[in-house]
Amino acid sequence: MTPIAGSVAMNLAFGFSILTVLTLILYTRNGDQRLFLTGQRLALGISFFVFLATFILAYQLIQSNFDIDYVARYTSIETPFVYKITALWAGQSGSLLFWLFILSIYATIVILQNQGKHNSLMPWVIITLAIIQMFFLVLTNYVTNPFKPTDADFIVANGNGLNPLLQNVTMAIHPPTLYLGYVGFSVPFGFAISAMINRDTSPLWIQSIRRWALVAWLFLSIGIILGGWWAYRELGWGGYWAWDPVENASFMPWLTATAFVHSIIIQEKKDMLRVWNMVLIIITFTLCIFGTFLTRSGVMSSVHSFTGSSLGPIFLTFVFLIMIVSFGMMYFRRNVLKSPRKMESFTSRESGFLFNNMVFVVMCFAVFWGTLFPVFSEAVRGTKITVGPPFFNQINIPIGLILLALTGIGPLLAWRKTGKKSLIRNFTFPIITGLIVSIILLLIGFRGAVVMSFSLGAFVTATIVTEFARGIRARQKKLNESIVMSLVRMVSKNRSRYGGYVVHLGIVLMFVGFTGHAFDEEKEFSLKVGESDHVAGYNFELIKLSEAERPNHYAWISDLRVTKIDGEFVTNLHPEKRIYFHKNPDPNRRQPHSELDIHNTLNKDIYSIFSGVDSENGVAFIKIMINPLVEWVWLGGYILIFGTMIALWPRKDQ
Amino acid sequence: MNSNKKFFLMIIGIIGVVIFWIGWVSMNPADEKAMATFVSVDELLEDNITHRTKLGGLVKDGSIVISETNHLDCSFVLKEGDLELNIKYDRTRPDLFKDGAEVIVTGQYVNGVFYADELQTKCASRYEGDLRDENSYNLSEIDS
Repeated sequence: MTPIAGSVAMNLAFGFSILTVLTLILYTRNGDQRLFLTGQRLALGISFFVFLATFILAYQLIQSNFDIDYVARYTSIETPFVYKITALWAGQSGSLLFWLFILSIYATIVILQNQGKHNSLMPWVIITLAIIQMFFLVLTNYVTNPFKPTDADFIVANGNGLNPLLQNVTMAIHPPTLYLGYVGFSVPFGFAISAMINRDTSPLWIQSIRRWALVAWLFLSIGIILGGWWAYRELGWGGYWAWDPVENASFMPWLTATAFVHSIIIQEKKDMLRVWNMVLIIITFTLCIFGTFLTRSGVMSSVHSFTGSSLGPIFLTFVFLIMIVSFGMMYFRRNVLKSPRKMESFTSRESGFLFNNMVFVVMCFAVFWGTLFPVFSEAVRGTKITVGPPFFNQINIPIGLILLALTGIGPLLAWRKTGKKSLIRNFTFPIITGLIVSIILLLIGFRGAVVMSFSLGAFVTATIVTEFARGIRARQKKLNESIVMSLVRMVSKNRSRYGGYVVHLGIVLMFVGFTGHAFDEEKEFSLKVGESDHVAGYNFELIKLSEAERPNHYAWISDLRVTKIDGEFVTNLHPEKRIYFHKNPDPNRRQPHSELDIHNTLNKDIYSIFSGVDSENGVAFIKIMINPLVEWVWLGGYILIFGTMIALWPRKDQ
Repeated sequence: MNSNKKFFLMIIGIIGVVIFWIGWVSMNPADEKAMATFVSVDELLEDNITHRTKLGGLVKDGSIVISETNHLDCSFVLKEGDLELNIKYDRTRPDLFKDGAEVIVTGQYVNGVFYADELQTKCASRYEGDLRDENSYNLSEIDS
């Protein structure tokens, strides 16, 4: 009975979405206020029924109702409670419903928040959001329905269970945060479309979506970082980023969105770059849908993709429709989008922003090119050529370094034009800092991109410090405050600016972490108890190899004693080899899993993987990786989040 | 020249440089492992392709041989239809690597042997698999 209620709720939501669009279009024609109110309520109705459907599915998952195919495939009786809920986004149809759920949350907030505000914009914002909801409702209703009954002529005794790799707290948080990011860009996109239709040239709508864009950007950033963190701690290939198509799918909109949250400042402050901002938000939103397409379609083989899906063509059609409609509209509104002002000088803050934007978009294109290289090469030359991480690294390292440099240069430039005097004054200290660091590094014996990265990092840090110091000093002189007081007041008076600097600092730290990758070392060896092997100045001795049977798996546990070559004790590591579902009579259903163990320090991680066991001969296969500076990536991530929070924190008077 | 034109030229210039850069790297990747051509076993044997390639197939039942002296060294036979190919691989084997597994290998074909340095297993259909009724469980499993 209840599963049917779920289907009915989704059907009603679909019906409501059609009604919403029709009613509001009618309103834009004849301006009858009652139609607008009706449209708004209908739109809230879509969201209501989507919430209902989602809660019903969640409830069925918790109840382990295996009459529903989705429940039977992704959970079992033994699945812990929390992971029964997270199974909501473990499979294809459920995750599409979840996408819709988040979109509906956003839509509801937008509608409630803007009652009585933006009256000319809102109808088209709601229409746009309703059309996006409609698209996903078509998918969940007619293409891949999460409430599909189990297709079996027997009673399903137990479900398949959730993949153990996904039974992890990070994995419970990573997809929802990423979705909050992806879906969040629907709102600025809706406003942008609406502004074009309304010929709205004021920077007003830009202000109202800046916050939305920043929220979505924050969630996307957190989602990406969490994904890397999970891969590093769980997957056991020793890295956090592999340029996998689906990782790229989240990175591309992040790049254009980062460009957008920068250039939107220019439109807000100077009313320039109207066309450019429009292009950026359209591309960002399209890439978000495209990313969902890459994940779902199976076009790219990837650890993330669901198998055998018919969604590809539908998604691709939607992507093209979005692009045709949006860019078509831009063409018809080209007069409205003309900015009244022009760039005045290369050494202006405006042009700094413009260059930073260019570089972000260029990087996005490079990633796009690499991701779709197999498709392009097959189309052009008939052979499918896949590109790996070395390709992406080679292309993106120089681009990334240019971006890092611009992170430092941009904020030091003045609006309109920077005079020679202030150029010299602003840049002397940071450039000297960067040069000193690079000379020291060169003397120690480092070369190439490593030196560039660290020196630019020092340069950017110096510019940030200068900016803070200058602001504090100015306040102290004028108001006679203490340092702490003026820091707090200065930041709280200009949150987006100083929050932005903190984000930049986080990015610098992350770059330090990325650079550490250049010094990675790894070795694989097999050990019997009592034997040892060494890598990168560390000795690894297998002290003990034990076995244990636990509730849901069987484990071989190794006890590795790590010492420096001179004998100094470092740590004990206990990587495990596990077999999940070890009691399953069908060996193909048992799942081996390597539980790794990491010794973290700020300087380097010692990363150990128990990759295999030969229990007859008592041999353990161990893979050791020495990964310098990885901690800095996570540290930078925390600072990035902190900085964005500062920029987002509402002021009392708002 | 007015400033708008200057900016326009600058932007065109940057785009030109970048396209050149991406094209150049696509043609001459610095690391030989940057690219691999996806081929079938048939094409590999027929054209005797010796540059870096990627192949997919099934591990032939009973063909996995692990060296007595170094447990990392392993060889097996990859099957694609009726065609077979000898593979050598000397790194950590993935968890799901076993007889009958669907694998993708990357490496080079030299003198009749394919030396793989990457071995990926396709995720077994465990989580997209068929559902089961009560009879297909044994009791101990249900008890646990």
